Amino acid sequence: MLKEQLQKFFKIDRRWIFLLLAVTLFVPIMKPLGLPNKTISPATKRVYENLEKLPAGSFVLFSLDYDPSTRPELHPMATALVRHAFSRNLKVGVVTYIAGSTGLIEELFAKVSREYNKVDGQDYVIFPYQPNILAVLTQMSSDLYGIYSKDRNGTPVRDMPVLKGIKSYKDMSVIVCVTGTAILDYWVAYVGDKYRVPVAGGVTAISQPGYGPYLQTNQLKGLIGGMKGAAEYESLIKQPGKGTSGIDALNLAHLLVLALIFTSNILLILIRYL
Amino acid sequence: MKLIKKQIPLAIVFITGVLTLVSYYVPHKMSVNYIETINKWENIVVAFAFLLGLVSLFFSHYNKISRKVDGWGYSIFVFIGFLAMVVPALVSQGKQMTDTGFTALGWSYKFIYTSLSGTMFAVLAFYIVSTAYRSFRIRSLQAFVLFIAAFILILGKVPLGQIIWDWVLGWTGRGVNDVIEWIMQVPAVAGKRGIMIGISIGAIVTSLKIIFGIEKQYMGKD
Amino acid sequence: MEFFTHSWAMLAGQLAHGWVWFCGLFVVTESWMIAGGWVATGLTIFLFSFLYKDNPFFKVAEHLYLGAGMGWLFQVSVTNVWIPKIWEPVSKGELLVIIPSVLGLSLLTQFVPKISWISRYGFTFMMGYGAGLAIPAGLSTDFISQIGGTIKPFSMLATMSPWAIFNSLVVACGAICVLFYFFFSVEHKGHLKKVSNVGIYFLMIYFGAAFGNTVMARFSLLYGRFDDVYTYSGAKYFYASQIILLGMVVYFLVRWFTGKDKKELDAEETAG
Repeated sequence: MLKEQLQKFFKIDRRWIFLLLAVTLFVPIMKPLGLPNKTISPATKRVYENLEKLPAGSFVLFSLDYDPSTRPELHPMATALVRHAFSRNLKVGVVTYIAGSTGLIEELFAKVSREYNKVDGQDYVIFPYQPNILAVLTQMSSDLYGIYSKDRNGTPVRDMPVLKGIKSYKDMSVIVCVTGTAILDYWVAYVGDKYRVPVAGGVTAISQPGYGPYLQTNQLKGLIGGMKGAAEYESLIKQPGKGTSGIDALNLAHLLVLALIFTSNILLILIRYL
Repeated sequence: MKLIKKQIPLAIVFITGVLTLVSYYVPHKMSVNYIETINKWENIVVAFAFLLGLVSLFFSHYNKISRKVDGWGYSIFVFIGFLAMVVPALVSQGKQMTDTGFTALGWSYKFIYTSLSGTMFAVLAFYIVSTAYRSFRIRSLQAFVLFIAAFILILGKVPLGQIIWDWVLGWTGRGVNDVIEWIMQVPAVAGKRGIMIGISIGAIVTSLKIIFGIEKQYMGKD
Repeated sequence: MEFFTHSWAMLAGQLAHGWVWFCGLFVVTESWMIAGGWVATGLTIFLFSFLYKDNPFFKVAEHLYLGAGMGWLFQVSVTNVWIPKIWEPVSKGELLVIIPSVLGLSLLTQFVPKISWISRYGFTFMMGYGAGLAIPAGLSTDFISQIGGTIKPFSMLATMSPWAIFNSLVVACGAICVLFYFFFSVEHKGHLKKVSNVGIYFLMIYFGAAFGNTVMARFSLLYGRFDDVYTYSGAKYFYASQIILLGMVVYFLVRWFTGKDKKELDAEETAG
């Protein structure tokens, strides 16, 4: 009898679980727990230090390749990175190989450039989307103007102050790629390894464990992973944003998953041995 | 006919493949010229590839509408969605922002595209939870090892989990973060590196097969 | 003749004038932003409603998504690539870009079985280049560098702590065991079986870590959507989220009471 009841409980309509998750995640958004991220992983710190050590005026290339589907994880990360670069007065170039990311890049720079009084063309340049990443990555090793002769608004870039003295990878100090795709792998393989430019990355939590080997060999000069990574970077630059509030909201939901896995396995043991 | 249909395409793949490969190792002016030209060309060719998806999407939904199959009315919304991006793009000439704020294109991106695309993937969170409840079975030692690794990561990535760890296992003197770092830097690196080396060998062999015309499935049937 | 050119110029002028006037309607004002909040939270809730049950609102949003995604890709490709990379050079007389454009368009012959072979020209042009680039990069980044990274620590043994030496050994042994598991096509017996078994455990730890991180990633995405829904539930947006959510609940309740849902559910349960 008890066994049947347990079995029934085990085969509960999954929509109850959906509801439970929705409540566990929504309530902390309305009423934050106030448990922000405290630890910082060494890989995130490496990205930070790579930007931090650059002298003002160095050129940093950001490859922002994420669309709205991974926005909650990667947008806070990219925002923190650009804020860091602007606060250090670095010159910033932005490229993208995902069509869906162009809107997010516009949003990001409209907001952050105003915070630091940075001017388009003088302190930063946003290049248009290009479809074939391999072709562009290879081209930028000799002459980036071969592909990028204009910025995303059609303004010629060759005489822009931000690009003064910048022609290929050897004129760039660091490349940081923020993506939820394999594009970071391309940067490592086709640029970092071949042309000896420091490449760092920011990726979704899903792909984070896959970059362990590159970090160990120093092919990747640091990695920010997922919402936690975004929160870490925000605390490094001392500007809490969506990453910090996000990690606070995830607290309960994470424990819910663990509780569910435990419950179902204990139920199964009980069903088997009763 | 065989020459045009088969041999010339295979010659193209061989020539571009070998020239590109050689230009990687030979830093001669000619190879740089070649690679610069082909880079620009390849970039343009790929700019048409998405049309394959576009045509097949439109074709299948146009067919549904014209044949009035069950639920054909929904197919109209594929075209409405398309126009909801393209018409504002025309109006705003491809610009999403002006000094005063959003353009029509920026508006449709922020409110239509972002919410649709974001939610489509956010729904997966619900399924991963119900799968965790229904099918995460710790039945063997291997499954147990997988569970332990997953458990430590799920727990240790959030502050509340770190507090619980310190409360229960604080006496060990090791924070959950140290354990996560170790997992990520040692056993996970070993696992992933094995996979990586394996895949790279496979990829190199496939690439060689493509260049030499042994692998030609992508060409379709005769 | 002059009359014609004159009237054409007039017409073009009128059209341009009309277009500018039309575009002027699309100035994004504060009320547009509020309407945007309603659209965004509405589409979000429609898509989530599938979790309860398939319904027309979900289907509409799902189809809009397919179209909007394609529309965005199309407009970005036109404004960022086709116009500056093809149209402008050609109108300046740089005709060489026509060659790759024709190769690109040749891909479309895929849809016409009789001439689908033409698409091979486009495909082979891309495949050869991709393969040519992939070989050296794969060889150095994922093969040689990885083997190097595994061996290198052992050249610095003297400066390493016992714990670091142990870790390097674990990485080396683990990677070798995983490769054994993948590669040896001989039947895994005796010692070989033990080695490849150890490989499985390393893979399990990697997959476990990946699963743990996947949970976090999925939740983060859900948090993002919920955060937006919460934003649009404010008084500034006239409680868009609450009203739309309530509307969906009412819709499902009405279906339930009119009995349309119940029959389907029963059918599902008996089938399940």
